[in-house]
Amino acid sequence: MTKPLLVFLLAVCSHAVFSQNLTDGLMMKKNLFCTGLMYSNDQWEDYWEGDLERNNGNIGTITTQTLMWGGTYGITDKINVIAMVPYMKIDASQGTLHEMKGLQDLSIGVKYNFFKKNFTQSAFNAFGVFNFSTPLSDYTPDFFPLSLGTHTTNLSYRLTANFKLEQGWFVNASGAYTWRSNTTLDREGYWDGDEYILSDEVKMPNVFDVFVSLGYLKGPLQAELEYIQMNTLGGSDITRQGMPFVSNRMNFIKTGALIMYYPHFVKNLAVRTSYHTTLAGRNVGKSNTFMIGALYTFNFSKQQ
Amino acid sequence: MKTIYNFKMILAAVATTFVVVSCNKDIENLEVLKPLQPTSLDENAENWASVNNDSRDVTLAKIVNAAEATANPKIFDPANDLTTVQDVNSTAYKAELASLAALQKNLTGAQKKAIEYWSCGGVLRWNQILRGLVAKYNLPPAPKGDGSYPVPDAENPFGDPNFPFANPPYASRSYAYVSVAQYEALKAAWHYMYVYERPAPYDVPNSGVQSLMPETDLPAYPSYDAVLSGVTAEVLKMLFPAAVEDITKLAAEQRNAALWGGRATSSDIAKGLALGKAVASLMADRARNDRMGTAGGNKALWDGLAQTATDQGEEPWISLETPKRPPMLPFFGLRKAGCTNCGVKTWIMTDDDIMNNRPIPPPSTSSAEMKAEVDEVKWYSTHLTRERLAIVHKWADGVNTHTPAGHWNDIMTEYVRDASWSEVRAARAYALLNMTMHEAAVACWDTKFFYFNPRPCQLDASIKTATGVPNFPAFTSGHSTFSGSAAAILSYLFPQGEEYFVEEAQEASYSRLYGGIHYRYDVEKGYQHGLVVGGFVQNFAENDGADD
Repeated sequence: MTKPLLVFLLAVCSHAVFSQNLTDGLMMKKNLFCTGLMYSNDQWEDYWEGDLERNNGNIGTITTQTLMWGGTYGITDKINVIAMVPYMKIDASQGTLHEMKGLQDLSIGVKYNFFKKNFTQSAFNAFGVFNFSTPLSDYTPDFFPLSLGTHTTNLSYRLTANFKLEQGWFVNASGAYTWRSNTTLDREGYWDGDEYILSDEVKMPNVFDVFVSLGYLKGPLQAELEYIQMNTLGGSDITRQGMPFVSNRMNFIKTGALIMYYPHFVKNLAVRTSYHTTLAGRNVGKSNTFMIGALYTFNFSKQQ
Repeated sequence: MKTIYNFKMILAAVATTFVVVSCNKDIENLEVLKPLQPTSLDENAENWASVNNDSRDVTLAKIVNAAEATANPKIFDPANDLTTVQDVNSTAYKAELASLAALQKNLTGAQKKAIEYWSCGGVLRWNQILRGLVAKYNLPPAPKGDGSYPVPDAENPFGDPNFPFANPPYASRSYAYVSVAQYEALKAAWHYMYVYERPAPYDVPNSGVQSLMPETDLPAYPSYDAVLSGVTAEVLKMLFPAAVEDITKLAAEQRNAALWGGRATSSDIAKGLALGKAVASLMADRARNDRMGTAGGNKALWDGLAQTATDQGEEPWISLETPKRPPMLPFFGLRKAGCTNCGVKTWIMTDDDIMNNRPIPPPSTSSAEMKAEVDEVKWYSTHLTRERLAIVHKWADGVNTHTPAGHWNDIMTEYVRDASWSEVRAARAYALLNMTMHEAAVACWDTKFFYFNPRPCQLDASIKTATGVPNFPAFTSGHSTFSGSAAAILSYLFPQGEEYFVEEAQEASYSRLYGGIHYRYDVEKGYQHGLVVGGFVQNFAENDGADD
């Protein structure tokens, strides 16, 4: 791999949905700061009540719109800090339920490129990512499917492997275990799907996820196909005809595609778009997600 | 070099994080019960008045008759067995004590845990269990493919939908049956305990039996723990037949805890169980004839309710669910002049009491006054704050919860626990509260289906709600009626808590306005109505002899 190309690769922001910066095989060079805004629109009408795929006339289509700020900074060439702040709005097309909106969770991650091996026409990199997220507002976790999130503090431990060829083709695989704190409801007792709990605190199962992508990255173009799987390691199913509950076993498999492009007329600007669809799930919506965003890279190096 | 430094920093951060992660996720139980050491034995509890309006109500005289005359073989026969039972030196009784003493020497961890679990007293523990059962079965049936809704079937309780759908009226009735059955059974237990006066095993000299629960001077024959286990399990199996396995196991564990804990011998327990079952059987006779079976009505009757409202120039209530769901138990409460078999049987109030105290009509659906009511709800809907949302959710008590009646049981439980009352006095408190909740359900459902008044979202579809819209008419608010009546009876039982009960009841009531599902009028008239309902039960309580 030629030196100029490598530098270019490292200088760009990576994935479509910004959170994928945590899962990809790319790094920002030291003192570079990539930041931008991304808008996503996620919709579902069918959902899985346990294993049963169904719809529900009392909610119709659930739409989640997210405007997210993201930023990645290169502390060194091998250590990046990645931060995200999403503002969300969730509403139902039918029935009477009130929309929910507000800031969701602040996420801060540290990504470390701990292993690197260059071959004649390819390169292998491995990364460890530690991510911390915590609620930024007092949103309720007790109004699913309209809650902004689980209102938990999460700690993720991620490992990522990336192999790329000089021609631009790459394959990337990532997996993470996420510890989630308990969450607190506004009521002092609840049915958790298995038993009645006399507390306002809900025990939250941890989560495991896998992310695999296959794509092409060369010159001004990045394009990839993605496979995303998330499994909640415990929790009950949605009760028959009931509302989803925060500690339900929420699992999904999604697939999607991402394109990012650097228009030649503005230096350091990238536009990106992606589309994801849900192939299978349990206690989640069968959603389709469209995303579009723009990113800009600043260079804070004293040399320049 | 700098990179290495940073790497060490990361290692340190990760190590710190693991410390955080290792903290466990055990959650704090907000309703911890403690071993019960009653402050009074309430030796005269058998004299406390029972509800006695007609031949199906269960009184001490009726229980004694069942236990001594009707039962075959007789459960009790004091004229012939008194001396035998009282003889603590009989070979048979000594053998029981010896086997119990031996058993206590080899208790397993699980057995000790069971003793601890039940040492708080069965009345409190079963109330917790009952609230859990209500929450589990409080699930509206899912619609079928053709848009119709299946009706839960008591003959097929494990089907889809499960039986029962423990909605607020069904739950109120369930709490009342369990509590009144426990109360009457315990009064009968107290009666026989003081007829036979057989001491507790740990009180028999040289029995070798220890008390592993707090000691009292209560006689042991029949075992009141076993009475409670028998009466509660039988009534619960009638109300929640699909939970038979859990109920049976818990009841057996309660009896075993009494045995293992040294509080009763096997003959104390056998008699207690038989007495408890006999009382349950009398209570089941009342329940089978209380007209719950016809509370759902049918299409023609539902249409009739809408027609009555239309004929009076009012916009009738319609279901806001998709597909439209039949109203929840429209004939649970509804009384009509001259109709003697309308609505589910009450405990304290008469049909005339229900009709005479029915709130005056709400504003006409076409009036300017109603428009103002709707506009106020709309304001709360568009100005939903996080504080008000928390109040709405605190009191939502909707699907998969213990319902409003259960919420008030939850509130009372800490007071009963802290009062350290005898089991029979604790049972009286739950019986009074839950008869109140039942009467509130009847009186409120009577009002709702008499007026058939639409919800705010029906009159203004732009109103969005912070909790699900209940599937029955608006006027009056059930939450307000339940809460007003509960605050009234709880303030009588625990005067020191009056201010708190009233504050909570008011908050519960207004939570429905904040949530966008009730007009202010529903809330305030419902609350007042609740106070009136609570007054009827308080009047009964003041004259039942328990506080003499």
